[in-house]
Amino acid sequence: MRKLRVRPRQVADVFLTYALLLIVSIIFLFPCLWLVLSCFSATGSIYSFNGFFPTSYSLASFISLFTDSYYTYLNWFANTLIIAVISSLLGTLLVIITAFTISSFEFSGRKALMKGALALGMFPSFMGMTAVYLLMTQFNFINSRIGLALIYACGAPMGYLVQKGFFDTIPKTIYDAARIDGASNLRIFCSVTLPLSKPILVYTLLTQFAWPWSDYILPKLLLKDRELWTVAIGLMSMPETEFARYAAGAVFIAVPIVILYFCLTKYMVNGLAAGAVKE
Amino acid sequence: MKNAFRQLWQKIRNLPSAVKEFFKESGRETYASMCFMGVGQMINGQYIKGLLYMLAEGGLIAYFALRGISDIIGFFTLGTVKADAWLGIEGDNSVIMLLMGIFAWFALGVLVYLYIHNIKDAKKYADMKIFKEHLPSFRDDLSALINSKFYKLALFLPLVGVLIFNVLPIVFMILIAFTNYGGTIVPPELVDWSLDSFGKLVTGSELSQSFIRILGWNLLWAFASTMFNYFVGLGLAILFNKKCVKGKAIWRAFPVLAYAIPGFITLLAFKFMFSNGGPINNMIVDNGGKIIDFFGINSKWMARGIGLFVNAWLSIPSIMLLATGILSNINNDLYEAARIDGASGWVQFKSITLPFVLFSTTPVLINQFIGNFNNFGVFFFLRSDVLSDGYFLASDTDLLINWLYRMSIEKNYYSIGAAISLIIFLITSALSLIVYVRSASYKKEDTFR
Amino acid sequence: MKRILALVMAVVMVVGMTVLLVACDKPSSQITLRVLENDTAKKEGYLDYILEAFNEKYKDDNVVAVDANMDEYSNLEQDGPYGYGPDVLYQANDVLMKYVEGHHIMPIDIQSMEVYEQVPQNAWDAYKADNNGEVIYCGIPVNVQQPLLFYRKDTLPENWQTEWDKNDNDIPDMVEYWNEMYLYSKSIRESDNSKFGFALQLNNEYFNSGFLFTYGGYVFGNNNTDDTDIGLSAGNAKLGGKIIWELAGIMDQKCLDDSFTVGRESMLANGTIFATICTPDMTSSFIKELSAVYQSEGLSEQEALQKVDENLVITGLPKLPADGDITVRKDVTDDSLWVAHKTMGGVNGYGISSYTKHRDWALKFVEFATSKEMVLKRAEMLGVVPARADALAEMHDTVAQITYDNLDDGTIVVMPSISAVGQIWMPIASGFKQIATDGCGDRIFTIDDIENVLKTIDDNIYKAIHTFS
Repeated sequence: MRKLRVRPRQVADVFLTYALLLIVSIIFLFPCLWLVLSCFSATGSIYSFNGFFPTSYSLASFISLFTDSYYTYLNWFANTLIIAVISSLLGTLLVIITAFTISSFEFSGRKALMKGALALGMFPSFMGMTAVYLLMTQFNFINSRIGLALIYACGAPMGYLVQKGFFDTIPKTIYDAARIDGASNLRIFCSVTLPLSKPILVYTLLTQFAWPWSDYILPKLLLKDRELWTVAIGLMSMPETEFARYAAGAVFIAVPIVILYFCLTKYMVNGLAAGAVKE
Repeated sequence: MKNAFRQLWQKIRNLPSAVKEFFKESGRETYASMCFMGVGQMINGQYIKGLLYMLAEGGLIAYFALRGISDIIGFFTLGTVKADAWLGIEGDNSVIMLLMGIFAWFALGVLVYLYIHNIKDAKKYADMKIFKEHLPSFRDDLSALINSKFYKLALFLPLVGVLIFNVLPIVFMILIAFTNYGGTIVPPELVDWSLDSFGKLVTGSELSQSFIRILGWNLLWAFASTMFNYFVGLGLAILFNKKCVKGKAIWRAFPVLAYAIPGFITLLAFKFMFSNGGPINNMIVDNGGKIIDFFGINSKWMARGIGLFVNAWLSIPSIMLLATGILSNINNDLYEAARIDGASGWVQFKSITLPFVLFSTTPVLINQFIGNFNNFGVFFFLRSDVLSDGYFLASDTDLLINWLYRMSIEKNYYSIGAAISLIIFLITSALSLIVYVRSASYKKEDTFR
Repeated sequence: MKRILALVMAVVMVVGMTVLLVACDKPSSQITLRVLENDTAKKEGYLDYILEAFNEKYKDDNVVAVDANMDEYSNLEQDGPYGYGPDVLYQANDVLMKYVEGHHIMPIDIQSMEVYEQVPQNAWDAYKADNNGEVIYCGIPVNVQQPLLFYRKDTLPENWQTEWDKNDNDIPDMVEYWNEMYLYSKSIRESDNSKFGFALQLNNEYFNSGFLFTYGGYVFGNNNTDDTDIGLSAGNAKLGGKIIWELAGIMDQKCLDDSFTVGRESMLANGTIFATICTPDMTSSFIKELSAVYQSEGLSEQEALQKVDENLVITGLPKLPADGDITVRKDVTDDSLWVAHKTMGGVNGYGISSYTKHRDWALKFVEFATSKEMVLKRAEMLGVVPARADALAEMHDTVAQITYDNLDDGTIVVMPSISAVGQIWMPIASGFKQIATDGCGDRIFTIDDIENVLKTIDDNIYKAIHTFS
């Protein structure tokens, strides 16, 4: 009998919890919903909205998004995809190697390297844009998607800390056991570390993939040719009056990322958390 | 810190005698390697290694002969012939010369490093030969590279990438602070070394006053937004984790949605939403209110508050996800014990959850702080059309980074921008280094094992 | 192990490919001219038209002109020296002329060109520069741009012919005189708070600077060439500032951000606003929105376009009162009470990059593109006002004539053509915003406050230009 008695304090707690959940969800959902519904606005302008939402709906913005021969959205999309995939693969490789090495080897200059990376990360990155542009002209990398992906990938090791934190949590004893068996470092990395690191691999791949999707400054600087534009540059080049189409383009690029995130949230949560846990 | 300096000083003081000692003990192999890299190794019978050293020196010498030396000279002169496209004079491009000059210094560094290594290496194996020890073959060297010196192999590619695409631009920008690059002095004009930018920063009273004002707001912003995002994110994670919450995955989905939409889109959408003709104001007007000029010229604190909110909307989801993961790592027995002791929810949070999470996330907190300190997007997108009284070409919501952007990218004053960012860089990196080095996650990084 | 190897291979391939890319710089005997045009010209098909015509004409000379296919806002000083810029570029005069100082665009011997006689000197002046005391020209004017008034006849009051046409010229007075516009707008606001008469983004520096120019303000001294003399508060410019302040009073806070700019087409179409100011190159989007509204009222597309043609009027800006007070009614038959509304304007044209490898051909292209036939075609396709007198004469277009005359008599103040012009926009926009914020809010500014704001604008521009140089 006692167990079934519901105390008023608990009821209040549950009530409050759900009220909070509802408020939080509305705060996060509403702007997204607004953006999604704007894509289906019939007139295309946000000033034909009735309060928050369009007065009439149609698919016109999506049709023009995919068929317009001047604002070639599908082309931008393909470019962004190419850049994102290359940067994601290459960047992940570099970060994982860096983090693994710094985590599991003691060598002279290790701490200096760690402090250096932290300090360098503090420099406002766009201040280096001029230099990056000049460098790319010297390497003949202007108008090159691969060149752009290379920059993203090479910048990735700067954020090795989360990954290093993850590797720190793998007990050294596992490695020692493998070493006694005579396994080389490469072997250990491939057959011991990597299988244990799925969450962090997924997390790294995703974040490295998502970065080029939303970056505007670098592609704008390095990709002059309209054929090579990414979604971010393309959308920003559209006139303000085309808000619905802009929103449609924005929502459409978010869809693959949303789906990916939802499929991989489980891995993500583990990956992120393990990276930060030290004790 | 003090100790490190003392050790360094000790080393420097001992250097001459160490060098003398080194020469006294050196044989012909060492001297041969001093003359040309790799010769000593050849004499030692390590042919492949010797050849590699020789090739490296040959390559580097070729580079220096072809352009390295002139690049280094160019680094000092920054050009002597002004280009003129009208007259077809190709001339010197000062900024390219600066960049390639830095590159040449890097190459020189590599050469010196290899050279010293090569001498030490020659001596080491010559000494080994004296004691009739078996010399490691090239194959042995390679296997050492995979095993005990794996870090060298593994870090090579990432290091090269970071050096070229991160360190080189930063060094370039720092050096720009010591030139007069910017304003009307951009190529084809010749740039020169100069300390004027720092002089202007010190003497331009309005400039330094503005700098201090913006820095104050910048610090407040970074602190407030980091704390707000962090604790709200943590709170959300705890909320979603509560036992009474059914369908956790669905509730969690809403913030994740916000996480997935690219930031620049969200920012523009928020700008539209808060604009004077936007949906929020329309709703206010429909309900009989008056339009609120959210980002208006007199809306200092209003705009700052909205910036805080929008930034929170953007970054709380990732912190929430992170905290969720950490919370699941806390040993539940701790809570059980606390409950038996009769600790309230608040006490549990204060004495178990918070210390644990805080301890685990120091690097993340530092990263968040840096990210917010240099948060360019929020106020660039929301309110970049306003100049405020008492600020030098800035608005009262501008962060230092927005101010920098306006001065260096929009208005072309590169050297002033570089000087300011150098100062910011010194302050922030010193601060965060101190915090990081003192943090448990740095000091006790191995405690877990 | 295999996976690692594969990744290492990938890295090697990436590096190798880039080396190949660097190495292959295939030679070509064909001359390619890269032409940068603006988005409108490309979207409406004009660029294709002119490229085709040019390539047809010179098909035997092994030369081909192509779209440079870049962002419409050029960045020649960044791209040009490294070979990524266009050969020929079409830009507004302020953009094109900022490249002169660094010699990024070529001086052109305009006297030898066929177009020389046809373009008025005021338009040529937009491309005039001083090269060590020698006068040079660095661009060829193609069209003239000026803000114009857009309004709808069918939202005029029904009795306008008796009540709002005191000068009996069959044109509503509110589109001829700012005082009438002000009073009409005020009456609309008083009868329906959700509607507006005249509406405009008041912190827009381009559309609103004209109010200051009319009463003696200017950007730079010495015919817009002396960047040490900034005069937006000069003369009686404060009267112009006061007009901006008064206009804010007949709008609401929407005039303080881009609400009226982003929404002008749909607001004019759905009757929220009666009139606004815009440049004529946007005409097509006004037509599109308005005809959509007419169609939703049951008209066919044909009928809707017909009705747009009858009702959407684009005309020169109304006259301003000589004493600067737009809030009271004045005798519209007495010309001495009124002055022409000066506006900021621009002259768009072609320039030739100094980094082009084919200067002769670039010049040939510019000559071709500024021929009467092409300029006329451009004006027809894009709705712009040609800078060539003979092209204009063939158009028989009254609105174009107004702009052309305005340029001739100095009512259009052409944007400065010195590089410092880049520093003027933000201080002006911010100052206008300050005036308008008070105008549609507290309304406590006195004329002296307004003048102080204008002086702050001057001061900010001066600081932006001279603090660091």
